[in-house]
Amino acid sequence: MTFAERMLRIDRRIIFLVIGLCTLVPLLFPVGLPIKISSEVRGVYDYIEGLPEGSVFLLSLDFDPASKPELYPQAIAVLRHAFKKNLRVVAMTLWVSGTGLADQILTQTAKEAGKENGKDYVFLGWSPGGSAVILNMGQDLYNAFPADYGGKATKGLPVLAGVQNLRDVTYAISLGAGNPGVEAWYVFGKDKYKFELGGGCTGVIAPGLYPLLRSGQINGLIGGLRGAAEYETLIGQKGKAVAGMDAQSATHLAIIVLVAICNIFYFSLRRQQRRQDGMGS
Amino acid sequence: MIFLRRQLPLLITMITGLVMAAQYYVPHPASEQLLTTVTKWLQIIGGFALVLGITSLFHVHAAKIRRKEAGWAYSLVLYVGMLGTIIVGLWNNGKESIDGALTSFGWVYSYTLVPLQGTMFAILAFFIASAAYRSFRARSREAAVLLVAAVIVMMGRVPLGEYILPLSGDLSSWILNVLNASVRRAILIGVSLGAVALSFKIIFGVERSYLGGGKE
Repeated sequence: MTFAERMLRIDRRIIFLVIGLCTLVPLLFPVGLPIKISSEVRGVYDYIEGLPEGSVFLLSLDFDPASKPELYPQAIAVLRHAFKKNLRVVAMTLWVSGTGLADQILTQTAKEAGKENGKDYVFLGWSPGGSAVILNMGQDLYNAFPADYGGKATKGLPVLAGVQNLRDVTYAISLGAGNPGVEAWYVFGKDKYKFELGGGCTGVIAPGLYPLLRSGQINGLIGGLRGAAEYETLIGQKGKAVAGMDAQSATHLAIIVLVAICNIFYFSLRRQQRRQDGMGS
Repeated sequence: MIFLRRQLPLLITMITGLVMAAQYYVPHPASEQLLTTVTKWLQIIGGFALVLGITSLFHVHAAKIRRKEAGWAYSLVLYVGMLGTIIVGLWNNGKESIDGALTSFGWVYSYTLVPLQGTMFAILAFFIASAAYRSFRARSREAAVLLVAAVIVMMGRVPLGEYILPLSGDLSSWILNVLNASVRRAILIGVSLGAVALSFKIIFGVERSYLGGGKE
């Protein structure tokens, strides 16, 4: 077996070790390279920044713990911004397995900002039906969520004063890890009930949402950990996403180097084989 | 009996499909009230679907355990995990936390489900790296184009990449906003037209596989 062949069949545990080190070392020794702000993330930030105090802001945390590394920092950053702007925050989830996480995120950020449950924010929790919940909220929010996550009746809550359905929402963001997520909020929500919509998602599904972004169906997109890091930079509160960007930089570079090495050996092996075939004939 | 099993469901599907499609274009209060009622039904049906799904899962795994099929121990783990979580969940009235304090159900969620799902997702990074090393080769012109685009996007999406190759950020943005968005849009339009065609087939009873029992 030639050297090139040996390298192409390298033990995958070596690759795992490289990736593990590239993740761990930058987390232990952060470099803190500057993060450039994209127009996609700025779209969401600018819209929230321009909202008057007391506007109704709906945040749908449509993800489960599997997407926590990417969407948790996004949710924290967006909520910090909304609370800083004194918006009335209405949070919910369309993913049953994300209920606990969504509650933790909201409770943590509200406590940090000194906000009061029921007055400044409300967590509606989860309701069965997937995308149908959006339609139901669009028709009558109190029909979809008669009580909040804590069991308190939603009708009469000061935070929901003047809100009857989705038409009364000023801005909504869905932080989605799949379906139902950003696309469902556009199709069943914004298209019919005419509120402004922004999106946040994992890096894997971000390219799939660009058609919605380019056509103005969503006014901004926070994509993956990078998007979260950009948002943290914009609000001036660096958190887990900015800390993770060094690790992501190193792993991306490691994968690029690995792919380049693999191609070098692949072409050297192909040349060798061609040479041997030429000599044979 | 054939009327109840075949014709009645087809009739309900056709009437519901046509009425709900027309409802979208009628802004009359009665039409809006109809939508409110129907979406509530949808939510209730969604709740039942969840119960049905869990019951079906229990049946499948119970059969595996009874027959001691290959991997039956995993089914047993699933049973213990699910029953344990359901009991703890019911005990705590489905609440993960009360006034910010974790309940035992919240403890199960935070210290088993969250790390388990996080681990599963994190493992992907290792397998993607290994798979990229083994299969991301410029075997043809098309594969080479894909390879170059992937490298540019990977560079452009991280600060280190933009630092090494400053142009990669703008190039990556162009690839995502122009090439990717236009191709995705074309796929979306195709899929949507397919969905419209399938909806018509279901509404008018051409497509009947959802009734079960195969095509007649």
